[in-house]
Amino acid sequence: MQLFWQDLVNGILVGGIFAVVALGFSLVWGIMNIINLAHGSFVMLGAYTAYVLFSTWNVDPFLSIPVAFVLLFVFGYCVQRFVINFVVRAPILTTFLLTFGLSLLIVNFALLVFHGDVKGITTQYSGSNFSIGSVTIAWVKLWTLLVALVITALMQLWLTRSKTGRAIRAMAMDIDAAQLSGVRVAHLYAVVFGLGAGLAGAAGVLVSLSYSLQPSMGDPFVITAFVVCVLGGLGSVQGALVGGLIFGVLEAFGSQYIGTGLQDAVALVVLLIVLILRPRGLLGKAGA
Amino acid sequence: MRPGRALGALGGITGNANALRVTVAILILMVFVPMLHSGYYENLGRGVLMFATLSLGWNLIGGYTGYVSFGNVVFFGLGSYTTAALWQHWHQQSIVLAVICAMVVGVAFALVLGMPILRLRGHYFGIATLGIALATQEIVSNVDWLGAGSGFTVRPVDAYSTYYYAMWIVCAASMLATYLIARSKLGYAFVAIRENEEAAAVLGVDPTRYKVIAWAISAAMAAAAGAVFAGANGFIDPPTAFALDNNVFPIVMVILGGVGTVAGPLVGALILTAINETLWSHFPQIHTLFFGAVIVVVVVFLPRGILWLFNTRGGWKGVAGSLGAYRV
Repeated sequence: MQLFWQDLVNGILVGGIFAVVALGFSLVWGIMNIINLAHGSFVMLGAYTAYVLFSTWNVDPFLSIPVAFVLLFVFGYCVQRFVINFVVRAPILTTFLLTFGLSLLIVNFALLVFHGDVKGITTQYSGSNFSIGSVTIAWVKLWTLLVALVITALMQLWLTRSKTGRAIRAMAMDIDAAQLSGVRVAHLYAVVFGLGAGLAGAAGVLVSLSYSLQPSMGDPFVITAFVVCVLGGLGSVQGALVGGLIFGVLEAFGSQYIGTGLQDAVALVVLLIVLILRPRGLLGKAGA
Repeated sequence: MRPGRALGALGGITGNANALRVTVAILILMVFVPMLHSGYYENLGRGVLMFATLSLGWNLIGGYTGYVSFGNVVFFGLGSYTTAALWQHWHQQSIVLAVICAMVVGVAFALVLGMPILRLRGHYFGIATLGIALATQEIVSNVDWLGAGSGFTVRPVDAYSTYYYAMWIVCAASMLATYLIARSKLGYAFVAIRENEEAAAVLGVDPTRYKVIAWAISAAMAAAAGAVFAGANGFIDPPTAFALDNNVFPIVMVILGGVGTVAGPLVGALILTAINETLWSHFPQIHTLFFGAVIVVVVVFLPRGILWLFNTRGGWKGVAGSLGAYRV
């Protein structure tokens, strides 16, 4: 029973990171119908931002989150405005291929700059933890989860309350009607992609606290984001959060009870079952 | 763009006839590659044929039927493991037997999984197939009978060029099959499903049945390519058999060549392999970076694929016209 609780807690803690990783991916996919295969490389860039700031000026990784967000937002905005916007109305495969090329470009550029060796961020508080009953919780992971929750909540507020957020949701519903009502689509598409990249960057900083860093580190997160989006339902903020937490717990239990090599297989089999029973995700609406 | 416009623009259901003739001529010329007695060109040529076969397979379900699969590598992997298991457990070394068994395994797998999976629409089908591919790789990595994580050695017994010719036959057969299917009732049913599934159903095309057929044929092609690859490669483990490249490259190649055409997959395979090899030999350090840049440039300037250039309404003018056709 002690193992059960420990796994549950570990799963929830790591699930917070998954939620932030998937959030940006889900927005870009849900609003612009772009499957962004470069999302993992944005996560990697965020992690390296934290690494560079930490190793050069000893900046605490939690303070790098806004820096990574802003840098990646600007980068993502430019990528969408000056590259992807040219083909964004093409069938989904076109942008799929484009972002695949972008991801190769970014990862290999990072390989040139940062080299391939594995790096890590070790802060003073990295090893400290506390216990509740028999369950041990690392402080870093708890703070990571809290930050993830705050980011998700801010995102939800901004999308539902701000004028820009409302314009973005209008675009997702009917792009032509939104354009007729004065929504600047080219600009807002770039904002959405920038947000996706910024959130990936923020997630990357959180990732850098618990994972080791190398240029190809982001690739598995694309698949995680895929799965989380399906579990939670596409383009929904709450969906990404719920999906992320479920996926984290599934992986934790999978590796404990079925075998370390098989935790991903367990999560993916659950994904298939969910897809077959509820094709639009656990929180998805019919016809959405 | 509505897919229907692409169909007309690329010259009907089999694609532009001239492009097809040129491509078939190239394919026939490729028979003579082993006579160059160069291991390098033979390897390269077999790679092109292998990727062309995978692309042709993907093109049937992704291009013609419009159901984008991100997991067709699973059939390639199962095909290679069929050869390896025949070698390892039953000492069967015939490449013909291996290809036939691999196709049976691939088709059976596609039929069993296709029934539930092909009820899903669009993206969700794509993710489900990706999930199947990844889960199968993990499961194979944990089955001792299949060599678990460390894989099998498959000792080639035939002359090396045998595998080249085998791959050529598999590729040519896949291309012929695609041509015949595209022109038959089957091909029109696939395209009808892609264009409008509800309308197709109303007109008497049973979507689930035809989608499963498309996926099963697609699986047979990928599995056959995998079976020959295992023999030629001499070694199979999960990362080789289920390589991500073998999943993504065929999609890239079909899009480059032309989605839903007979010639497109081979054209894409040739061009992408050529680009990749040139970059590799000139810029070994940063060739993947260049490769990424090439993909980005091609997609932005030729979003409808290279076969668009052959089209009477296309040509360079068409390129200029299509640049910005999908802009916001």
